[in-house]
Amino acid sequence: MIFYEIKKTVSRTGGRIALGLLLFTLAVSCFLAVRVYYVNEEGAREYGYSAVQKLRAAQKEWAGALDEERLQAAFQENIRIRHSPEALSEDITENNIAFSRLQGIFEIRSLINESYAEGFRSYDYYLADRLTSVNAADFYQNRVRLLREWLETDAKDQFTEAEKAWLIRRYEELDTPFFYDYVKGWRRAMEYFPTLVMLAVMILGYLVAGIFSCEYQSKAEAVFFASAYGRSRAVSAKVKAGLLTVTGIYWALAGCYSAFVLAFLGADGASCPVQADLGGWKCFYHLTMGQAYVLVLLGGYLGCLFLSGLTMLVSAKTRSSVAAVMVPFGAVFLPSFLSFIQHPLMNHILVLLPNRLLDMGTTLGYFYLYPVGGQLHGAVPLLLILYTALSLVLYPMQYVEYRRLSKK
Amino acid sequence: MLLEVTELTKAFRDTMAVDHISCTLGNGVYGLLGVNGAGKTTFMRMLCTLLLPDSGAIRWEGSDIFSMGGAYRKLLGYLPQDFGYYPDFTIQDYLLYIASIKGLRPAYAKKHAEQLLQQVGLWDIRKQKMKKLSGGMKRRAGIAQAMLNDPQILILDEPTAGLDPRERIRFRNLISEIADKRLVLLSTHIVSDIEYIAGEILLMKDGKLTLTGTTQELTASMPEQVWRCTVQREQLDHYLQHYQVSNIRNTADGVELRILSASCPMAEAVPEPATLEDVFLYHFGEKAGADHDIL
Repeated sequence: MIFYEIKKTVSRTGGRIALGLLLFTLAVSCFLAVRVYYVNEEGAREYGYSAVQKLRAAQKEWAGALDEERLQAAFQENIRIRHSPEALSEDITENNIAFSRLQGIFEIRSLINESYAEGFRSYDYYLADRLTSVNAADFYQNRVRLLREWLETDAKDQFTEAEKAWLIRRYEELDTPFFYDYVKGWRRAMEYFPTLVMLAVMILGYLVAGIFSCEYQSKAEAVFFASAYGRSRAVSAKVKAGLLTVTGIYWALAGCYSAFVLAFLGADGASCPVQADLGGWKCFYHLTMGQAYVLVLLGGYLGCLFLSGLTMLVSAKTRSSVAAVMVPFGAVFLPSFLSFIQHPLMNHILVLLPNRLLDMGTTLGYFYLYPVGGQLHGAVPLLLILYTALSLVLYPMQYVEYRRLSKK
Repeated sequence: MLLEVTELTKAFRDTMAVDHISCTLGNGVYGLLGVNGAGKTTFMRMLCTLLLPDSGAIRWEGSDIFSMGGAYRKLLGYLPQDFGYYPDFTIQDYLLYIASIKGLRPAYAKKHAEQLLQQVGLWDIRKQKMKKLSGGMKRRAGIAQAMLNDPQILILDEPTAGLDPRERIRFRNLISEIADKRLVLLSTHIVSDIEYIAGEILLMKDGKLTLTGTTQELTASMPEQVWRCTVQREQLDHYLQHYQVSNIRNTADGVELRILSASCPMAEAVPEPATLEDVFLYHFGEKAGADHDIL
């Protein structure tokens, strides 16, 4: 039964086109994610696998605990390169030659820009070049100090005292000095995955939208409901087919994407904390790059599962694929419109909408706290718990709802 | 093996679609005859548990069919009037899918589907997609799906609609072949289909069963006599206005009419034995002419 339900879904011309589109998007996402360049000694850009290997080798030289010694060395190396004749030259090719020497420490340099910034929300790309000396001992403390200052000034009305104390404590709890490594593979995989998963959720929605309504659209419901298992196992097969379609397609997509990107760019740095990467410096979750990526994949799966489940429920209730297929579109695009309403409560709600599951990498950076059960939590654990619970309810609801239609 | 229908009633808003119907059906072929809108489909959908009655009961071997649920539907084969299918499935896939939701084991389903495909003449095109089939082929696939579980109760709603004469004959023969040891209820407004194969006929009008019996019983119960006479063309309007005319045929001498009338319409009129078509016309009158393919 399940086999035929899936066959019904994917044998349609529209279903095949949708799967083709998904494969095309996968190919484009993979291509964009691995399009990393390396500037060689002549100042020219190189692309492809050899470029990745060169970049990886350059950054691997600096891998290790990011302690005062390594920070100071990276800072001095940056100064040395920035004051080299090539960097000071007005010739762009000469500048590129200087940049080629900078690539090994480029990520550490970015972290220095973050740590020694003027404010929590400011980022100056050239800061590391302007500084004449840094006190490496302050590197990690600056992160906490800047947060504390921000909470006392710009963000003083955004958080309660308990929330401020909780955030500072989370920052202080970060194990330092943390391990630094080449993490390009994880970062690029996280960067391009949300685009892929957003398209996937819409295509999955399109595919599963017809699982229940197709019986009515093709006027086959009379034979279906008049069959021995038309109101029991056959309905349950529809629910299972939806689950399998979403699970199978999502993990095939995520698996192919992850395998290709990480194989091409390298999976080094899986145990580095997310804070070791520029985008995660301010993050208050204590996760490694590998854990964060797993979270991104799980979030994407949960998002697809929930939104597809909702699509199927609408399909079962309205008997219309058109109404059902609007669900994932609405879920992805509606929050963008709602975000125009500037209100703290609205912001807290928006971060808990299912579209946030599709971009867990960004959600990890949100500073929204929720008091639940006498404790404060970030949005990420709440999203995972909330939508797991809702998904567990949604699928049995489809069964009940569709069975209800069988008798009029 | 009895299907008992007691005081069955179903209304849609102000329209009484099925109005206190009672009957008992055993093995054999039953023809449900009525004009469009008589309530045939509503009645059949209730027999298939697709509609809940407002009142009354349907019992199979003494058990309420709605309480029996899946156990009743295991005995049921149904071809709806508006037969839907999955356009991108091949005929074989379609039958195997229906077999699965009817609870047939895959090995048996495959074997039985093969037999049925051969029986309905679709074996050679079994790999063809449903959307590419002609109306008659779809109908045959529909009959095959209804037969998959070797049903005790076979309900066919307008099974010959849209079939050409050759396919209708083929269908009638098929029903006669499979009718043994089961209850077959088929509805139609094409009288000849029923006349050939139905052992008993249920005449349905305005939601009620107005008459039941064999063709002979029904024709015998008609109080009017059937007359055949030939009139001049200019007299035709007069006869059409004053009598129920069940057939008109142009001849070299004028127009030959088949008239239903208690009294002799003209001196030259010859009495004729009544047929089911005459009974149908007698009971449904003007409404009987509403559909072109009634007779």
